[in-house]
This record gives sequence, C-alpha cells and structure tokens, in this order.
Amino acid sequence: MKISWNWLKQFVDLSNTTPEEVAKKLTFAGVEVDAITKMASGSNLVIGEILSCEAHPDSDHLHILKVDEGKKYGIHQIVCGAPNAKKGLKVIVARTGAVLPEVTIEASVIRGVESDGMCCSLRELGVDKNNLSEEQIAGIEELPSDAPVGEEDVLGYLQLDDTIIELELLANRSDLNAMENVAREVACLLEQKPMIKEYPETMQGKSAFKVSSLTDKCPLFGAREIRGVVTKPSPSWLKNILNAEGVRSINNVVDIGNFVMLLTGQPINMYDADKLPEKSLEVRDDYAGSFVAMDEKTYLLQEGDLVVSSKEKPMCLGGIMTSQECAVTPETKNVIIEAAYFAGPSIRRTSNRIGLSSESSARFVKGLNPSQNERVLQICSALMVELCEAEEVLRCETYDVMDHEKKIIKTSLGYLNARLGTSFSLETVLEVLQRDHMSLKNVEGESFEVEVPPYRIDMSGEADISEEVIRLLGYENIQSKLPEVSTSQGGYTEAQKNRNAIRRFLRDNGVSECLTYSLVSEKLKDSFSYLTKGENYHLLNPLTEDRQYLRKNLLPSLLEVAAYNFAHQEKDLALFEVSDVDTPTEKGRHLAIVLLGNEPITGSLHQRPYDFYNVKGYWEGILRLLGLNENRFRLENLQSEKEEFHPARSAKIYAGRQLVAVLGELHPNKIKQLGLGKSNAVAMEIDLGALLEMKTSPKKASIPPKFPSIQRDLAFVLKTEVAYGDVKREISRLDKIIKNVEIFDVYEGDKIQKGKKSMAVSITLYDESKTLKDEEVQLVMKKVTDMLSMRFNAEVRAA
Amino acid sequence: MSEMENPKQIVEEREKEALEALTKENSVQGLTEWKNSFLSKKSPLMQLMSLMRQIPNELKAAYGKLVNDARNAVEKAFEEKMKKAQEEALKEKLEAERIDLTLPGRSYSQGSINPYWEIVDEMSDIFASMGFDIVEGRDVETDHFNFELLNVPKDHPARDMQDTFYLSDSLLLRTQTSAAQAHTMLENEEKKPIKMICPGKCYRRDDDDATHSHEFGQIEGLVVDKGISLADLKGTLELFVKKMFGEKRQIRLRSSFFPFTEPSVEVDVSCSKCGGKGCSLCKGTGWIEILGAGEVHPHVLEMCGYDPKIYSGFAFGVGVERIAMLRYGIDDIRRIYTNDVRFLKDFTEK
Repeated sequence: MKISWNWLKQFVDLSNTTPEEVAKKLTFAGVEVDAITKMASGSNLVIGEILSCEAHPDSDHLHILKVDEGKKYGIHQIVCGAPNAKKGLKVIVARTGAVLPEVTIEASVIRGVESDGMCCSLRELGVDKNNLSEEQIAGIEELPSDAPVGEEDVLGYLQLDDTIIELELLANRSDLNAMENVAREVACLLEQKPMIKEYPETMQGKSAFKVSSLTDKCPLFGAREIRGVVTKPSPSWLKNILNAEGVRSINNVVDIGNFVMLLTGQPINMYDADKLPEKSLEVRDDYAGSFVAMDEKTYLLQEGDLVVSSKEKPMCLGGIMTSQECAVTPETKNVIIEAAYFAGPSIRRTSNRIGLSSESSARFVKGLNPSQNERVLQICSALMVELCEAEEVLRCETYDVMDHEKKIIKTSLGYLNARLGTSFSLETVLEVLQRDHMSLKNVEGESFEVEVPPYRIDMSGEADISEEVIRLLGYENIQSKLPEVSTSQGGYTEAQKNRNAIRRFLRDNGVSECLTYSLVSEKLKDSFSYLTKGENYHLLNPLTEDRQYLRKNLLPSLLEVAAYNFAHQEKDLALFEVSDVDTPTEKGRHLAIVLLGNEPITGSLHQRPYDFYNVKGYWEGILRLLGLNENRFRLENLQSEKEEFHPARSAKIYAGRQLVAVLGELHPNKIKQLGLGKSNAVAMEIDLGALLEMKTSPKKASIPPKFPSIQRDLAFVLKTEVAYGDVKREISRLDKIIKNVEIFDVYEGDKIQKGKKSMAVSITLYDESKTLKDEEVQLVMKKVTDMLSMRFNAEVRAA
Repeated sequence: MSEMENPKQIVEEREKEALEALTKENSVQGLTEWKNSFLSKKSPLMQLMSLMRQIPNELKAAYGKLVNDARNAVEKAFEEKMKKAQEEALKEKLEAERIDLTLPGRSYSQGSINPYWEIVDEMSDIFASMGFDIVEGRDVETDHFNFELLNVPKDHPARDMQDTFYLSDSLLLRTQTSAAQAHTMLENEEKKPIKMICPGKCYRRDDDDATHSHEFGQIEGLVVDKGISLADLKGTLELFVKKMFGEKRQIRLRSSFFPFTEPSVEVDVSCSKCGGKGCSLCKGTGWIEILGAGEVHPHVLEMCGYDPKIYSGFAFGVGVERIAMLRYGIDDIRRIYTNDVRFLKDFTEK
C-alpha cells in the first residue's frame, strides 16, 4: 500500500511531523515501511510558453525553441528533441543549473546551436512511468493553456510535491490496504482523532436488478444501479490522488471505483447495465468454459472458480476481472456497481492457476472488512452523482448471509501485564486501547471487554489485545528477566556429545566439515547407495531437475564438492559431512568422508597418496572415541558390480547383520567419470545413527599389570592372499596368556618369492596370577608357530 | 738369556717410540690402529714386563715401577687424545647432520568447519549452557506439524505448492524448524515445562540467488511454563546476544507478525561494526534484524495439549546463514553450500 502524504493530510494533522517520523512510528508498531520516496523533484523549474518552434538546420528531429519564462527570467533559446514541441504550448522548463532526479541541466551547444535550459517531461521530474501515458513518456509535458507563465513552484502547481510512504504489509494487517484505516493508525500513533469523511446518501429507490449467490464462497453481495452517468475526465483532485497512489486515471466512472477501493479497501466492480443479458447477477462456482476478460484475453475457467453470472453467462471472474462483454466504456449510461465479499483462498487459487491478478483480487486474498458494504456503496453513489452527473441511484437488495456479530473480547489488566511482563496501569491500558479505536465495555475492577472495530479482522482473542497494548506503548516498557523453568538440566544428550566429539576428532585430524544440499538429481539419487537402499522421497513439485529427490546417502554430494574443488585446482582434499537421511522406509544419520589426492605430510613437499588405510584409520579412531571394541564388527570385501569402489580395495563393515559402513578406494572408472582425473580418491560412509545407538560398557580404568609382561617377535612368510586379520584372530585365541598381537612389518616384493609375503608380529604375553617362566612362554610360542604352519602354511623365519 | 745392559734406556726408548707414533695420529680410526699396535699384548711396550726375568732381583721392583709408569703415561696420553678425537668426530658428525631449518614442518593440519556448522555449534553451546535441551527434528514433516499446529490455516498461501516442497498430499519438507515446537509439546506426555532449541535444515520453494536458498538453516527456541512472559523472552535474548555478538550489544524489539505467536516481534541487535552510529552494514540504522520471536499463541498451546489458561511460553527463530553472513561478511548464501576449500580454510573452530 502506498500512502500519499498529501492525501493523508486530509485525515490527520501532519503539520508537526515528517514522513520519516511517521514511518518510524509505523515501523515500531508493526507496520513495515518499504520506502519513502518523493513523487517528483527538481530545482530551478519554471512554467514557460513556446513563442517559436523552428526545425534545427542540422537535425531531422531537433527543434530550436524560443521560450518565454516570464518577467523574472525573460526569453531563452532551447534546443528540444520532443516530437510534440510546438508554438503556443505551455511547458515545464528546467532552467540552466536545475537539478533533476537523473540529470543536472547545463548551458550547452547542440549541433552548433546554443541551448539554455530544457523542456521537461514528467518522467524527467521523477514521476513513475507507470503513471504516465505513452504520449507523456515520449514527449514533453503539455500544460493546460491557462498555466501561469513564470510560475516557479511547478511541482506545487502540478500537485506533484508529494511524498509516498510505501508500506510492506504483514499478513495480519490487511486492514491497512485502505487509506481510511491507515489514517486511523497514523492518528492513533500521533495521539490524534482521525477525520473520516462521511458521504451523503443519494439513493432514490429500489432497482429491478436482483443479486444473489449460489456459493458459500461469496456470502455477501451488494449492488446499486446508477442511471444516466456522463463519462468524462476526472477532476484534478481525484487525478492527483490516483496519480500519487500509482493508479492511472482513466475517466470519472472508472476512477471512482479505484478511488473508493483505495479509500475503504473494498474492491468495486462495475458493469454496463444495458449489456447484461438479464436484470440479475448471480455468483456461482459451477461454471466451466472459456471467459473473455476486459484485457481481451481468453481464460479457461473450471468448476470452483467464482463467477458472477447473468442468465448463467459469466459476466465477471469474481473479484479478479470483468468480462469484455459487459465492462463499462465511455459510452456507458447505466452502471451496476458491485461491492461483494469473495473468499480469499478461492480467489487466490483461481488467480494463481490462470496467472491473472489485480489490485482487487490481491485485496480479497489478503482479507476484507465484511461490514462496510452499505457504506462503500453509499460513497460510490455520492461520487457518481457528484462527478458523473448520475441521474438516479437505485439500491439492489443485498445478498448477505455473513456473520456480522460484533467481536467482543473479555480480558483483564492482570492477564495483559502477566503476558507482556509489564506493569502498566489500568488507566494507561484503557487509554491506549481507546486511541486504537477499540470500544471498552463493562469495566469492572481490572476486568473489561473490548469491542474490536470490524476492519480489524486479525483480532480474535485476549492475546491480540496484549499485542495492541505493547505495540502502541512500546516494547521498551518490558523489564528483562530470565525464565525460571523447572525442567531437567538441559544441555547435550550423550549421543549429541558423541556426535560432536566425532566431528571434532575428524577436524582435528585434518578433515574439513562441509554442508551440502539434501535435494539431489535423478542421476545422484541411487549413486553409492549401500547403507540406505530403496526408494528416495520424490518431490511432487521440484523447482529444478537437479533438486528433485531427497538423498538417502551422502557420498554423491560430497564427491560433487570434491569435483568442484578439483576443477578449481584444489587437488588434495579431506572432506566430511554429517547429515540426516530420510526415505519413506528409513530414517538415519550418516557420516561421509572423501579423501582426494595426497595426504600432506609437510605441505606439498612431502606427500603420501591417500589410500584405503586412511579411511580405515578414521573408522578405528571413531570406534575408540565411542568406546566400541573392533571385535564387535565384521569386515568383508565390498564385492560390488557397480564400479564405484575399487574391487580389491574396498570393504563393508557389519555390526551383527547390520551394515554400518562402506569404505574404500574408488574405482578408476568412477574417478574418471567424476572428473577427478587420475587422482587417488578414497571414501567412506558410516551409519552414524547406528553407531551412536550401540551400547558401550561403562568406562573402567586399566590397572597396570602386577607381574611383568613378555614380548616376543615373530616373522613368517605366507601366501599373499592370507589376511592379517585372520592371522591375528587365530594367534589371539590360541592361549589365554596371549594378550595382544600387533603387526609391525609386512613385505611383498623383489626380495621374496612371488605370491608370498612376509609378516612380522609382536606378541604380548602376560599371566595375571604370576610371573611367566621362560619355558611357559616357549611352549606358547611353539603353539603359535605350529598353528601358523598348519593353518596358514606359513614358514616361520625368526622367533 | 743375558742381563739387560740398560733397562732404563730401553723403557724410555720404547715409551718415546710409542708417544712419537701417537703424535702422528689424530683420527679415531688412526688412534684405534695405533692402540692395536702399541697397546696390544704383543706390542714392544707391553712386552717390557716380560723382560723382568732378565732383571736382577734387587732391581726388579724399580724396573717394574719404571715399566708401569711408562705404560701409564702412554695410556694416559692415548686416552686423552682419543677422547679429544672422539669429541671432534661427534662434532663433525653432528655438523654433517645440519638441516635446512626453513623447510616446512610436519602437517598436523586442522580441518576447517563450514561457517554454518560453526554458528550452529556456537549457538547450541550457548543455549545448552543456559539449560536448554537440544532437540533434533526431521526434515520430512507432515503438514499437520509444519502448518496446522502452528496456526497456519489450510488455505494459507504459505501452504501452496508454490512455496512448499511436497512429497505427498500430507508430507512435505519442513519450511520452518518451528515444526519442532508442536512435536516437543505434544510428545511431552506429562506436560512438563519445556526449554529447548531445535537447529535444523528447512526448505522453501525459492530460486537460489545471493540471498535466497531452497535449503537453509534455522534454530528454533521454545520455553513453556507457568508465567512465561515477554520479559523472559527479552532477558533470554539479551543474554544470548551478548554471548553471541559481544558484551556491548543491545537488542530492541519491533512489533511484527507470525501466525504462531501473539504478540510477535522482530529483534534487532545494535550494529557490531559501528556500535549503533549507523554504517554500511546496518544500512545507516545502527541496528540489524537478526530474528523473529513472540509469545506462543494460546491456540498453539491449546492444540499441543498445554492449557493456555495455565501455561504460557515464548518462541524464537534465527536464520543460521544470515548470522554467518552478517558475522563474516559473506556476500552470497550459495558459497556456504559450495564448500570451496579456499573459502572454508578461514573457518576453524576454537
């Protein structure tokens, strides 16, 4: 809603304030101000008369003008390019030195001819071009023939010395789409009484026209028949108001409709009474078919769209636009004026579907005062009589099934102060509510009833009253305190602490934490889907193809981040992300890690390519952090046909039957396909939710052994395909005094037979009850070497 | 075997011979070789003792002392020299181990943190320390929780397909973490007091540009108990703002509108760049809008099983990226989701 400062002056005394001050008060009271703009501006302006107009010898469109700028300034020569410049025309002259919104006027020589000043269009004074006709934009402004030559207050003469406060209305204050209500609000903020003009009743009798509604989406329909109107230009006071409000003046009849809508917020629709098929208008929502609107376009309507019909033919798309067929024209003599209430949601659906909206439809969508119908029609009638020489005003019987019960809210000072955390006195509260145009009833002690004015459709309960009180008295009246809530202690849960510890562990070990979009493309939705399988959630209404599925795994997104960075010459990367994943069948929380290129050992000087064991190391670190024993997990070859992971360097990890992690080096084809060249790429995705839910035994201190432990190293050669994990497991379970097995060397290469590898392990032996004797150790070590050769066909080299 | 003609001379000669040879050796290796020839059992000096037989008995003691003294003198000379040589050798060896001190150190690199997570962590820490529970909602919500229970009626424009991503007639991607309000209240079966925040991702059907993102983070806060007023909201937010933005920051409340709070306010914080004088960051106003808040609408409490005649509460919602962008001067919200490591590297969590 735009507020014209000059128009507002007709309702409120603004002599002691400024647009900026009013804007500030509005802002704090919950009415956002989008902008404060001057309608037009310009210095050194004067009204002049073109005395002569000759073609420029050196141009096909320029004119050389002699302009009389009045007694004070005399006659000046101006070179002008406007096509409508002609002798005798009264014009706006921006004299040399004038500062206009976009240009400063200087004396100049144009194609060899001196030019002293400029003849202006309104556009050049800063008037919004939407408010100007094509002729006004293309040429200079043609002032009336009686315009006073020499007048320097040109903006005042043109009624353009106005300031516009543009409101950005929040959903609850649709009432401020009406100037009268803006005036009430501003008056309240300035502690004044607004001057709301009342219009005389001009109705002379009953009309033969019948109006009604067949749908509950239009519970109120009022109309008047105005006979014998004369269409002509609107008077300048009306033109000026419309101009300031950003509405183009058409003619007196149309302008009255727009003016009354701006004044009261009630959209007005008009029909040429003689073009209606019968003397009735009926609102229905069962029409389906085509409709030619006033904009000459054809729209396809369907059941549910609100239509005002006459003889079952659509005459108006309710609340949105009249039909071409019965719209008023300059020839119209008899007019039906409609003021109805259409349900906002219905209007919005139709308007969105067919892509047609108007100032009127926007007001229905936001919500209307349902109780001013009669008054609005009375204002229209009075203006029709005053401005259009209407001969007869006839009233149609209003269709009204609307609930007009007065809204009365019971509340008390105690409630208001408790809710607000304030200590206002009863007097203060009652005074401010009255100023806010609420009527007070039954004040008994601290309790009272508030009758809400009908235009405040946002108010329904006590809480709303509390908001009125505080928004008008100011939030600075609230004394801060901290809530004393008797809850549990609050803070992080164990799982939250663990998750944060894992995130910190990864960052502390050089992995950077990312945030990626959860919505992914068709291509990515099934990529790397090991942990969470099955269907993705699919958006019914995606914005773009790239963002149409809710992801079920994180690696595809994180690999996209890697590819982006790789393309920007960042080729050594360590990235992770923790995020929720959702599918119709599963809810989870995943952690994904991507390592690309080299592990920086000393920056770029010494580097080591990332490999499988980097991600495995992170996995092991996470288990340690959570206090989970590795033995609770089982590692298997990934064995996938998908060419995503390296077939021989990737693994799945299970906890019981549940897959909880996949990890490995990526398949070279995948690396290439991702645009990562020939980099090393290693990735892991963990079902973090599952890990965080696993039970851990309570932490216990490890008491250092009472008796000395003994360490024995053992080196042996075996077939390359034998897994260390198996060797370790078998050694560990040979005897209870074997407490730990750790590998410290593994070798495969030139110095050893092909197909074989050597391994060296360190075995720790310890007996809780005594010091081990050498013979006992040797006996156990013998068991180890025997087992190695029997079970793994290993050749023990040194013990 | 005849008697020695002049044993003293012989001892002196052999001593001299050994010491002279010793003067020629300076290296550990040369000295070791010298030791092998002059101090071994077969060496002339060591053999002197075996000549004792040829010494008349009355002179044997004197001869023994003579030989011992000579041997001690030679050994002492050797040891001194060897010690010096070894010291020298170690010095040389260490010198040879000289390294380029200016080469880079080993990388114990700290990974970065996306500023989004930094803000979420920091705010969560602040509210956790104030005794708030950290609640985690889900991205997939029902329209009942996301709209209905938050007082957004069936026909409200926000519920249009145009603004909200739908998965089915009743399932959608939450448009606000406020959805967690209703969950927390309804799932609190004993209707105990509530003090929680809920950080999470939200989705709106906006085209991505510098300031809009179809995915974005919010942190919702909710406190419900008997007698919770706007004064509690103001106090809580003042404390939060001081912890998050600095001791000197102040807040002010402006009237606003949200369907699920009444009264509703916008909360501005005094500009951290100019301290309230007005600058480019605060667009000359001295204040920056950071969050929306209000007293929980009685109807919302009622729908969620808390009797509004007994209970009241406040709620607030903060945009995560907005705070990150304000604090770090990030020009485009898309940077946060791009994860360019050149951008991320400036963010490490303390």
